[in-house]
Amino acid sequence: MRATRRTWWRTGLGVVFTAFMLFPVYWMINVSFTRDQDMRKSPPYWFPVHGTLEGYRAVLEQQGPYLATSLVVGLGTVALTLVIAAPAAYSLAKLRPRGGGVLSFVLLIAQMIPGVIMAMGFYAIYLSTGVLNTVPGLIVADSTLAVPFAVLIFTAFMSGIPEELMQAARVDGAGAVRTFWSVVLPVSRNSVITVSLFAFLWAWSDFVFASTLDQGGGRQPITLGIYHYIGNNNQQWNAIMATAVVASIPATVLLVIAQRYVAAGVTAGAVKD
Amino acid sequence: MDSLDRGRRAAGLGLAALAIAGGLTACSGSSGGDGGAASAGAGQAAGGGTYTIWDPYPQFDDSSDWVKLLTQCGTQAGVTVKRTGYDTTDLTNKALLAAQQGNSPDVLIVDNPVVSTLAEAGVLTSTDETKIDTSAVSPNLLAAGQLGGKTYGIPIGANTLALYYNKEVLKKAGVDADGIKDWASLTAALEKVKAAGKKGITFSAIGTEEGSFQFLPWFWGSGANLTKLDSPQGVAALSLWTDWVKKGYAPTSVINNTQTTSWQEFATGDFAFGENGTWQLANAKKTGFDYGIIPIPGKDGGTAPAPTGGEFVTIPVQKDAARYVATQKLVTCLASTGNSLTTDTTLSYIAPTEEVQTKQVEQNAELKVWVEAVKAAKGRTSDNLGTKYPKISEPMWKAMQAALSGSQPPQEALTAAQATAASAVQ
Amino acid sequence: MPVVVYLLAFYVYPLYRNVDLSLRNYTVRSFVQGDAPFTGFANYAKVFADATFGPALWHTIVFTVVSLAFQFSIGLALAVFFSRNFRLSTTLRALFLVPWLLPLIVSSSTWSWMLNSESGVVNAVLAALGIDPVNWLTSPDWSLWSVTIANIWIGIPFNLVVLYSGLQAIPSHIHEAAALDGASGWQRFWRVTFPLLRPVSAITLLLGLVYTLKVFDIIWIMTKGGPSDASTTLATWSYRLGFGNLLPSFGPGAAVGNLLIVIALVFGLVYIRAQRRQGAAA
Repeated sequence: MRATRRTWWRTGLGVVFTAFMLFPVYWMINVSFTRDQDMRKSPPYWFPVHGTLEGYRAVLEQQGPYLATSLVVGLGTVALTLVIAAPAAYSLAKLRPRGGGVLSFVLLIAQMIPGVIMAMGFYAIYLSTGVLNTVPGLIVADSTLAVPFAVLIFTAFMSGIPEELMQAARVDGAGAVRTFWSVVLPVSRNSVITVSLFAFLWAWSDFVFASTLDQGGGRQPITLGIYHYIGNNNQQWNAIMATAVVASIPATVLLVIAQRYVAAGVTAGAVKD
Repeated sequence: MDSLDRGRRAAGLGLAALAIAGGLTACSGSSGGDGGAASAGAGQAAGGGTYTIWDPYPQFDDSSDWVKLLTQCGTQAGVTVKRTGYDTTDLTNKALLAAQQGNSPDVLIVDNPVVSTLAEAGVLTSTDETKIDTSAVSPNLLAAGQLGGKTYGIPIGANTLALYYNKEVLKKAGVDADGIKDWASLTAALEKVKAAGKKGITFSAIGTEEGSFQFLPWFWGSGANLTKLDSPQGVAALSLWTDWVKKGYAPTSVINNTQTTSWQEFATGDFAFGENGTWQLANAKKTGFDYGIIPIPGKDGGTAPAPTGGEFVTIPVQKDAARYVATQKLVTCLASTGNSLTTDTTLSYIAPTEEVQTKQVEQNAELKVWVEAVKAAKGRTSDNLGTKYPKISEPMWKAMQAALSGSQPPQEALTAAQATAASAVQ
Repeated sequence: MPVVVYLLAFYVYPLYRNVDLSLRNYTVRSFVQGDAPFTGFANYAKVFADATFGPALWHTIVFTVVSLAFQFSIGLALAVFFSRNFRLSTTLRALFLVPWLLPLIVSSSTWSWMLNSESGVVNAVLAALGIDPVNWLTSPDWSLWSVTIANIWIGIPFNLVVLYSGLQAIPSHIHEAAALDGASGWQRFWRVTFPLLRPVSAITLLLGLVYTLKVFDIIWIMTKGGPSDASTTLATWSYRLGFGNLLPSFGPGAAVGNLLIVIALVFGLVYIRAQRRQGAAA
C-alpha cells in the first residue's frame, strides 16, 4: 500500500522522539543494574558494564504484594473518579445549573491545595472515621487528585458535543439521565479514557497520601515499597531504581492496551461518519 | 478520641478471642520473634493489648533482627507489638501530627536533635515520669535528649563522623595518613593527591540538616561556637571548605551531596578522603579497595568534636497513664546490655554505654577508632541549645551553600547567617 | 449534586485548615496542644518582609512561564505528529507516558543523577563534544534552569495526551473541507485546527499552570531550592518552612501556600471570564 510506505519516515521520527524522551528512563534502568561502587563513576558507564542483579533480587523478593495493592488502588481510583466526575461534568456542560461557574472555580482552587496539607486534613478525618491505613481510604484520597481535573476536562469536552445530538435524543423522549448514559457517554469515550489514564497514573505514582495515610497499613502501594531501600543514613539506589522499573512494567502494558483502545474508538467513529 | 478508644478496645477483644482459640497450643510466650504478633499476643493476652512502635528504620522488614527484637521485647513485657518504620525526615511531622490528633505511638524512636523539639511540643514524657534508668549512658550522648534539666529518652546507639581514606590513593600520592594531625597537614595531603591525578576529598554540604551535621566537626574543630556563627573561627572553618572546592580538592557536587551520594563518590576509588559515618563500615568492606579511618582533625591538632548522630528511644505522652508500665518494660528491654549489643551491631552504631562499647571493641577491633570518636562527640542540641539549635542550623547551612557555590564570600555569608539566627532565637 | 458534597467533604476542610494555620502564631507546642493565638495577618507580613520572598516569587514566575511554554508547544507538536496514524504510532504514544508512571522521587533523582557535575551523563556528553562541564545543580546561575528542564520533561506527557484527545475530537470532515479549499497543511493547522482546539488548549494551559505553580518535589529532590535559594520557588519555600527543617514553622508555611492559591485564583478568574465571553459570543 502506498499510504504505509509514505508514513515510514514518521515511524522513524517517532522512534527518535520517543528514544530521546525516554532517555532518563533508560538511565534509571542503567542505575538499577549498577554496583554501589560504580554509581558515581566519572565519567559514567553508558551501559551496566559490571552489572549486578542485586537490586532486582531484593525487589522481586519483596515487592509482589505492593504491586498488587497499587493495582487495586489505581483501578479503584479510576472507578471512583469516573462515577463522581462524569455526571457532574455533564450537568455543568449541558444542564448549566445555577452556580456552575462558581463550582468550576472551586474545583480549580481545590487543585491548588498542597498535597501535604490535604494529607494532613485527611489524617484527622480518617483517624476519627477509622479508615486510616486502609485501601478504600487511600482510594478516596487519591481520587481527590483526579476528580477536579476530570470534571474540568469532561466539561471542556462535553460542551463540544453538538446540541443537535442532544436535541435528537430529547425528541426521542429521553430524559437527562438517559441522554447522559446513551448519548453523552459513548460520544465522550476519548475523554473518558484520557481521564481514566490520568486517574490511574496519579494513583499509581502517589507518594504523599500513601505515606501519610497508609504507612501503618497492612497493604501498601508500591511507592511505599521503596522505603525498604531508604534507611535512616543510607539509600540503596540500585534497588530503588529497580523498584521503579518493576513497578512501571505492568502499568506500561496497561497503557499500551488503553491507547490501542483509544485508537480503535477513533477509527470506529470515523467509519460511522 | 472516643473512636480511638473503641478501636483499642476492639483490638483487645480480638486478642482475647485469639487467646481463647490459641491458648491451649501457644503456651510459651518467650518463643521469640518468628512466631510473630499472633502467637505473642495469644500467649500473653492477659497482660495485654497492642503497643505501637514507630522507628526511622524502614529498611528493616518483619524478618529482620530488629523487628524480631521488638517482638521479643513485647512478648517479655506481656504485650503485642505493632511496629511501623517511617522515613526519618518524615517522622518528626508524623509524630507531631499524631500527637495533635491524640494518636501517638507508645514508643517513638527518633533522631536525637528532634528530641528537644518534640519535648518542647509536649509530646514526650520525661524519664522521671516513666522510670527509665539512664544512669549507664554516657553523659555526652544523653545530653542531646535533655531539656531544662529533664531527660526525654534514652539513646539506642550513637554514630558520628570520621574521615575514611583510600590507602592506595594515598600511597600513590606519597601521603602518610598518620601524619595528618591538623588542617594544614590535611590540606597539604589533598594538594599532593590532586597533583598525583586523583581527587581529594568528598563530603556532604547539602542544604539540609545533613549538611550542618557534616560541617560541625570543622566548625567546632576550629573552636567556634554555635551561638556566634561569624566568629573568626567559624569563618576559618567555612573558608577551609570553600578553598578546597575552589582549588579543586573537593568536587562542586558536594553542594548537593547527601551522605549517601558522597559515599558513592568515595566508593568509586577515585577519592583520597571521604567524610562519613559509622554506618558505612559495612559498605566500606564492599568497595574492593583498602581503606582506613582517621578522626577528623581539629584546626591546630587534636581530634575535632564531631556531632553525635543516632536515635533516641522515647515514650510519647498517652491519655491512659497505665500504659507506661508495659512501655517502660519494653524500653528497658530494648536498652538492656545484651539487646543493645545486637541492635547496635545491626545498625552499625556504637553503643551508648561503656560496658557495651567494650564488648563491641572485643568483637571487632576496627570499632576502636569509632568508640573514641563517639566519646569525643558532642550533641547538636547540647550546650543547652535545645530548640534553638534548628534555628541556628538552618542559617548555617544556607551560609555554607552560599559560600561553596561562590555567591558570597565566607565572612559575608556567615555574618548574614548570624543576623538571621540571632533574630530567630530571640 | 454529589460532586458538591464530595467537594465540601474533601477539600473544604483542608483548605479551612490551611487558612487557619496561616492566621495563627503556631509553635510546635501550640500545634500539638491546639491553643495557638490568633494573630491575623502577622504571618503574611512576615512572609512579605522575608528576604526570600522577592527571589522566590521571581523564580516561580520564570519556572512557570518557561515550563508552560515548552510543555505546551512540545506537547502540541507531538500531538499533531501522532494524530496521523502510522506504524507503531499507538505504541510509541503509550511509551511517551512512561515518565508519568514513575514516582517523582525516582524521576527527579534520575535527573539529578544525569545532571551531576562530576559523574553525570550530561556533562560526559558535553565533554565528548569538547564543551566545558556545567555545574547544573550546584551553580546559582544554572540550578533554576536544570529544575525547569526536568519539569518540562515531566509535563510533556500530560500536554500530549490531553491535546491529542482534543485533536481526535475535531471531526475529520472539517479538515477535508479545508483541504478541498486548497489550504496548505500549515494554514489548515493555524486557521482550522488551532481555533477549534482552543477550549481544550485553554483548560490544558490553566491546569498546567496550576500544577506547575504547585511543583515542589522535583525541585526539592534535585536542589533543595539551592544553592543559596537560586531555585527556590514559592512552593518549595512553603514546604521548607512547614516541613523541611527540624523545627517546622507551620504558620508562615501555610501563608506562602495560600499566596499560591490566590495566584491560581486570579488566573482562574481570567479563564472563567474568557469562557463566559466566549459563551456569550456563541
